Amino acid sequence: MATNGIINIRNVSFYRGDRVIFENLNCAIAAGKITAIMGPSGTGKTTLLRLIGGQLQPHKGQVLLFDQDIARLNRKQLNHLRARMGVLFQSGALFTDLSVFENVAFPLREHMNLSADELYNRVLLKLEAVGLRGARDLMPSQLSGGMARRVALARAVAMEPEIILYDEPFAGQDPIAMAVLQRLIKGLNSQMQLTSVLVSHDIAEACAIADQVILLGEGRVLAQDSPAALQASADPAVKQFIHGEADGVIPFHFPALPLQEELRGQSK
Amino acid sequence: MINLIADLGAGLLTRLVQIGQALLMLLQAIFVQPKASSLPRLMQQLFVVGVQSLIIMLVSALFIGMVLGLQGYTLLSAYGSEQAVGQMVALTLVRELSPVVAALLFAGRAGSALTAEIGLMKATEQLASLEMFGIDPLHRIVAPRFWAGMISLPLLVAIFSLVGIYGGHLVAVDWLGVYSGSYWGNMQQAVDFNEDVLNGMVKALVFAFLISWIALYQGYSCVPTSQGISAATTRTVVYSSLAILGFDFILTALMFGGAV
Repeated sequence: MATNGIINIRNVSFYRGDRVIFENLNCAIAAGKITAIMGPSGTGKTTLLRLIGGQLQPHKGQVLLFDQDIARLNRKQLNHLRARMGVLFQSGALFTDLSVFENVAFPLREHMNLSADELYNRVLLKLEAVGLRGARDLMPSQLSGGMARRVALARAVAMEPEIILYDEPFAGQDPIAMAVLQRLIKGLNSQMQLTSVLVSHDIAEACAIADQVILLGEGRVLAQDSPAALQASADPAVKQFIHGEADGVIPFHFPALPLQEELRGQSK
Repeated sequence: MINLIADLGAGLLTRLVQIGQALLMLLQAIFVQPKASSLPRLMQQLFVVGVQSLIIMLVSALFIGMVLGLQGYTLLSAYGSEQAVGQMVALTLVRELSPVVAALLFAGRAGSALTAEIGLMKATEQLASLEMFGIDPLHRIVAPRFWAGMISLPLLVAIFSLVGIYGGHLVAVDWLGVYSGSYWGNMQQAVDFNEDVLNGMVKALVFAFLISWIALYQGYSCVPTSQGISAATTRTVVYSSLAILGFDFILTALMFGGAV
């Protein structure tokens, strides 16, 4: 059982109605590394991120963050823990009624007692790190998708967290924005000695920056290894996902009756 | 038959669970120690919910007052009692039409906007992101909107009554020639502050509570898709309207039904 990470998932089971998302899931995320959580759509990658963030509670098992079981924390303790964690949501989740500057300043105003000058400088430095210092007065509606993602990244690291969770950071980005985001994630991780958890199904981009990959499927961890080891894996499910093969052990088709039985006007 | 009863029971249980969830949401949102830093957010919502609803209220109140003046004059003049038009306009407005019509307009204008806004915040993960910053969205998003609704609607109802009475004056006195002194004098004699004005304000408060509660719960609990937000917005207007009309009857029976 994996118990040596900054984040430890122990025997976690999670269901949505009758559907099993995870059954006895075990994995550990090492401190100071970039861990990519990958897997086909619908395998519960974002759900796992929400379990780590305490937004969802497992039906069974434990999610340990800094060796604390987050299901046992009260709201104050959970909020205290969340202050040590940054999240980059898939949509960016910028507050639409606040400017770029105010969005990045938001967590600082809420949690830190900084002087006006300190706050201004800190926000500006975070925006400079993502290359958007000049866009500080724009509103979120005036930003492109890639820019919004970068502002959200500046906001996620504003509090200088120890862990940062990225939900599909590359989804829907053009190649330039994708490369910029890759460089930023890698750079921030090494500069700030962060632990980064990256949910993605962009294999090439995620593998290029990840130190380890957790491959999810069928409600469990299919494989957990370095990107290079997974590329060379002979496991059929890992091979199918990593090399993008349409059909294999991971079915392409949603369960259904045979096609001949479903087509109309066909002799049985 | 058994299936039908089981379906009915399951439907009823689902509704009861929803009401329980809505009640819990409201209690968690409003039972919180007020902070000075919350005041700007309340002011902003008072502007959005209250001030921005003013135009539709003023225009509707003026026309309703004018219609009441005209109808009242036509009816009362048949009995030679057109001097009583002022009291008819005022009593109809303060007891019934102002709270009910203003609340229906408020549900359509502000209630639907609240649901759509919170639903979109949910769809764009803004609520989740607040939670991850250690801020309870119920305190930050739901509470100021709830209190803004509770404060705005009674004020809008009072303004509605005032403008409606002037609308009645415009038609009955300025156009149809009823004596101005009778219009105001009869009104002053007939309208009782406690029984009529205060009861109208109690209705406004109850309607404000119902609309704000329904609108906020529908937004907070909606399925965060375009279809889900659209359905939640529709539900806000439909449920609020039905609740307003249903509770209006109950409140009227309690307030004015004693003589029956």
